[in-house]
Amino acid sequence: MYLTKKHLSRRTFLRGAGVTMALPFLESMVGAQTVLRKTAAMPGTRFGCIYVPHGATMSKWTPAAEGKAFEFTDTLAPLEKFREHVSVVSNLVHASATGADAGAEHARSAAIFLSGGRPQKNAVRVGVTVDQIVAEHISQDTPLPSLELGIEEASLSCGAGYGCAYFNTIAWRTPTVPLPVENSPQAVFEKLFGDGGTTEQRLRRKREDRSILDSIREQTVSLQRGLPATDRMRVDGYLDDIREIERRIKTVLDRNAQSADPLSVPDAPVGTPEAFEEHVKLMFDLLTLAYQSETTRVSTLMFAKDLSPASYPLSGNRGGFHGSSHHANVKERMDQFALINKYHVQMLAYFIGKLAATPDGDGTLLDHSMILYGSSMSNGNQHDHGPLPLVILGHASGQLAGNRHIVAAPQTPMSNLLLSMMDKVGVHQESFGDSTGKLEL
Amino acid sequence: MRRFVQPPAARESVSARRSLAYRVAACSLPMVLILLGGWSGAPSISGQGQTPPASAPGPSPRAVLDQYCVTCHSDAAKTGGLTLARLDPEHPVDGETWEKVIKKLRAGLMPPSAARRPDRATLEGLRRTIETSIDSAAAAKPDPGATTLHRLNRNEYANVIRDLLALDVETATMLPPDDSTEGFDNIADVLGTSPALIERYVGAAGKISRLAVGNTDLGPLSVTYKVRGDLSQDRHIEGLPVGTRGGIVIRHNFPVDGEYLFKFSLLKVNFGPQYGGAAKDEQLELSVNGERVKLIDLRSVPYYYIRGGGAGGGPAVPLEVRLPIKAGPQTVAVTFVKKSAAYVDDLFQRFDATTADLQTGVQFGYTTVPHLSGVEILGPYNITGPGETPSRARIFVCRPASAQGSGAAGSADRAAADETACARTILSTLARRAFRRPVTAADLAPLLSFYRTGRQGGDFDAGIEMGLRRILTDPNFVFRFERDPANLPAGTPYRLSDVEIASRLSFFLWSSIPDEELLRTAEQGALKDPAVLERQVRRMLGDPRSRALVSNFAGQWLFLRELRNRNPDVLVYPNFDDNLRQAFQRETELLFDSVVHEDRSVFDLMNADYTFVNERLAKHYGIPNVYGSDFRRVAVADQARRGLLGQGSMLTVTSAPNRTSPVTRGAWILENLLGTPPPLPPPNVPAFPEKKTGQGVAEEALSVRDKMVQHRTNQPCLGCHQIMDPIGLALENFDGVGHWRTAESGVRIDASGKLVDGTPVDGAESLRRALLNYPDAFVQTMTEKLLMYGVGRVAHYYDMPAVRAITREAARHDYRFSSLVLAIVKSDPFQMRTASGAAPPAASATNR
Repeated sequence: MYLTKKHLSRRTFLRGAGVTMALPFLESMVGAQTVLRKTAAMPGTRFGCIYVPHGATMSKWTPAAEGKAFEFTDTLAPLEKFREHVSVVSNLVHASATGADAGAEHARSAAIFLSGGRPQKNAVRVGVTVDQIVAEHISQDTPLPSLELGIEEASLSCGAGYGCAYFNTIAWRTPTVPLPVENSPQAVFEKLFGDGGTTEQRLRRKREDRSILDSIREQTVSLQRGLPATDRMRVDGYLDDIREIERRIKTVLDRNAQSADPLSVPDAPVGTPEAFEEHVKLMFDLLTLAYQSETTRVSTLMFAKDLSPASYPLSGNRGGFHGSSHHANVKERMDQFALINKYHVQMLAYFIGKLAATPDGDGTLLDHSMILYGSSMSNGNQHDHGPLPLVILGHASGQLAGNRHIVAAPQTPMSNLLLSMMDKVGVHQESFGDSTGKLEL
Repeated sequence: MRRFVQPPAARESVSARRSLAYRVAACSLPMVLILLGGWSGAPSISGQGQTPPASAPGPSPRAVLDQYCVTCHSDAAKTGGLTLARLDPEHPVDGETWEKVIKKLRAGLMPPSAARRPDRATLEGLRRTIETSIDSAAAAKPDPGATTLHRLNRNEYANVIRDLLALDVETATMLPPDDSTEGFDNIADVLGTSPALIERYVGAAGKISRLAVGNTDLGPLSVTYKVRGDLSQDRHIEGLPVGTRGGIVIRHNFPVDGEYLFKFSLLKVNFGPQYGGAAKDEQLELSVNGERVKLIDLRSVPYYYIRGGGAGGGPAVPLEVRLPIKAGPQTVAVTFVKKSAAYVDDLFQRFDATTADLQTGVQFGYTTVPHLSGVEILGPYNITGPGETPSRARIFVCRPASAQGSGAAGSADRAAADETACARTILSTLARRAFRRPVTAADLAPLLSFYRTGRQGGDFDAGIEMGLRRILTDPNFVFRFERDPANLPAGTPYRLSDVEIASRLSFFLWSSIPDEELLRTAEQGALKDPAVLERQVRRMLGDPRSRALVSNFAGQWLFLRELRNRNPDVLVYPNFDDNLRQAFQRETELLFDSVVHEDRSVFDLMNADYTFVNERLAKHYGIPNVYGSDFRRVAVADQARRGLLGQGSMLTVTSAPNRTSPVTRGAWILENLLGTPPPLPPPNVPAFPEKKTGQGVAEEALSVRDKMVQHRTNQPCLGCHQIMDPIGLALENFDGVGHWRTAESGVRIDASGKLVDGTPVDGAESLRRALLNYPDAFVQTMTEKLLMYGVGRVAHYYDMPAVRAITREAARHDYRFSSLVLAIVKSDPFQMRTASGAAPPAASATNR
């Protein structure tokens, strides 16, 4: 009975790229993975984190009322139709982003967002991020443990001894391994669905890839002899990476071995859209597909990078994103900045709308999701790292009530929220980052 | 765009200071004579023929420090975290600290203007003393450093595939972007691996092998070439046929002989309003290798962008063409036939940027023409064969008799042996180039094993494809291994092997693998001979592959790669379009290219009395009589325009979208041209007051300068802005897109000021001369960056003696580009490596 609800429409329209994508491949995957699931009616919770730099105009973000009776402020208004699934969380701070070496506030913001740890200067080191901890627990049986998406290209904007990695990603697999962000929809598509014209081709290539990786792994072990220690460490990491890819390929092959459905060829989206809105919607389309097919359950997405000069003319504000955030606390210009905040929330609402419209097990994808959206800054003008603009969407498979404005005690670390979010997906830790306790969600 | 690597410098306070008397004196060190070359600011910076300064014993370095530096840099005050109270400049131990001191002195930034300042010669003398002591200590105990294991970055990967397989691939969609540090993306320390990366390497290897071999078991693929929405398409575009306007030229690789579908899309939206409906009789042309293959009449499309529209009774015109195409790289051009050379008689005057308009797109009185927004090439369909491509010619250096279709080759055993022998030849030839060294039996064994797997499942070509796929994922391909000789104690410097140096050379100069000649020379052990090495370097600099220095070194050093991310506000700069953006980039690339390929002095980058423009750029700069879209060398009469400081690329990349940013310009010059990056600003800095626009709001009649003065009344800001601002303000005659102006908001531009060393400046020309008054700052900064790029690791303080030795050597050859490169190639950091000692026994330790 539940299974029938899970059937995908045979063709899903990928908006933005104007590409029609046939999905029987996905159907078969879904069919196959039901075997792996605990029960067909209880799909895993999807866990997503979306980062926006530069903070927000808080007066237009934070609802006045606490609890269930909260009102949707101007900036959050696009989310009102999902009221039951909205949890606004106020008063949290990322205090350890502040402090000495004050000039590097932007350099630290993205890296601290999900790690709750202070990025080290003149090194590449920050904490493991919450998405990766969660992925380790809830997304190891999926073809991809996690998906790291972004809109902007990695650039050379790095500051004061803080490496580019701190700007370019919010996901850290280990304290020293940042995960690169993918901004090409085409590449994301291939990552999700594989390379090849027909299913047979795709599967054959995967098998061939596996034997190549196998052979390389053996060879690499022997190559390590006589290498300098630092190089050896790098080769060790490379070996781990190879094993990880082998594992992923095995997952896909195993699934397909269990599936009798014929697979057909989805068209990949082509190129990278120029316009932000087209780009971000396409990424959301792909992410929805990834969640829907449980190709992964964990993802991160960066709307922009810190110091981004991007402009969003459709927001009504023609200025650069970073420039607009330095509004000098002049009301008129804070309002102008809020236009960008609201526009970004509109994009989020597009995604939430898709999740809400996608059946999943006994409900919708949104029911089974927990999507964190927000920034590591509040008032970007003075680089404040609290109170942060944060909102969580979805019911996390019944773990999250929604329809609430949760007001934490002033100066509560955002790490408390991250710790509690992990709780909600069954990852129980005593502490995380600079946490001082858990937040009642 | 900021990248600051030094700790915060001293925050100097302000006040007027006396001007400097530039007097050469007090230097008795012989090398000083060379280094001081060009100090007079003469256009030709040369280390030769300088008259030795009159030598008079000046105050001792310690006395200079005590008198002029220790007031702030004392143990108690420690301004900027630095104390010089007890350091001995004549016997420097703490090289790291002293190199910071040297950099400040080298660019004339210390002592600050508020403090007492000795004459130039005394300061230079102090710097020489410190440098000489550090350099002689370094010479006695060289430390060439050690580079972490290098991985091919994305650009290198593409070049390597081009040189190995005669195949152009678009790696941007195949491989994830690389991290960069210190402004370069080829620095080994950050070229790590991740599962995503390995996955993409494996995927790329599969794709590239199929393409290169010409696998015909291929589903249709789609590649889209986008035309930027801000490209004006009312004029001719370089590389397209005469008599056309707009469009795009593509070099596309068709994997096999077969049919391909070309789809064209026209620009529909330009920030909202529909676009492209007014002009009549438009035609779209497709040509392949210069021959027109299709002319599409757009008349019957009521709105050009409606594919197959056909409203109003007209026939539907699908904007697509299906054609048989031969395998291999072909030039595809898509453009519009230009209908009239006459001025369009519109009610409104048009901007240079045809898509700048926000409201008038399809209004009465304004002619708009269709713009191409993209070309999609899909295929192959109906494959007829692998075809004969440059890649196949490169790969199949032999053909087994069986594959040549001669059934009379003999027994099946003999045919198989024949095939295996040929496969061995092909794969060892490829592997030698790919691994950049002689191949061993151990290298070859897995390749042949994969060949056999492929051969079993298909034909000979399929076997080669599998072998190639294995090569392209081999760690020997992906990484550049440099192995310490056995039993060398840790910390011992040693010279790299010739074969390792050949790779260093080719990745430095070509961002790619060594070619046959270089590899052979290295295998023969001849690169140890300096004459041979020099011959190879000169040959490589003359080779077209050395354009990688322009795109990768200059592209990153001079922020040319950042240009494409800059979108000047269309309301403030309605004439700015992608044509201009591209022209900016091309101009600077061509200038750098001329320095490389005409072997000019690197000071020409600052000083050149020539530049490269096309009609669009010439118009922007006010250079008369330049017509057409092609670039050509022109003399620059206007002193303000000379060199990098007058180029649109730098001026735009250092501006905000809607105004100039003198602070950014100043900081950029300090960091990238003078090697003294300012620290990042503290938080709580009030924002820059923007110009108010829009109805009903009075514009503030304040120039950027006035606003900056307001802005920096904050005391903590003053120290650094004192240094940055006068530099940036001297360029205020160039607006945010490098257009010359004499007024802003109706107020006359004031480009005057006083640099921190007291030099008065007024405008770009005087700034350029003032900066060149510190030639060492420029040339050593460039050298440091080039060395960093060349070796692929971050330059540390202990590399600075090498940097100075390189510039001393280059000075003997008028700072010609080749002399800089040769001196780098012969330097210890390039030729040598510090042994890290025996690696610990194998452990399964991971960083997980």
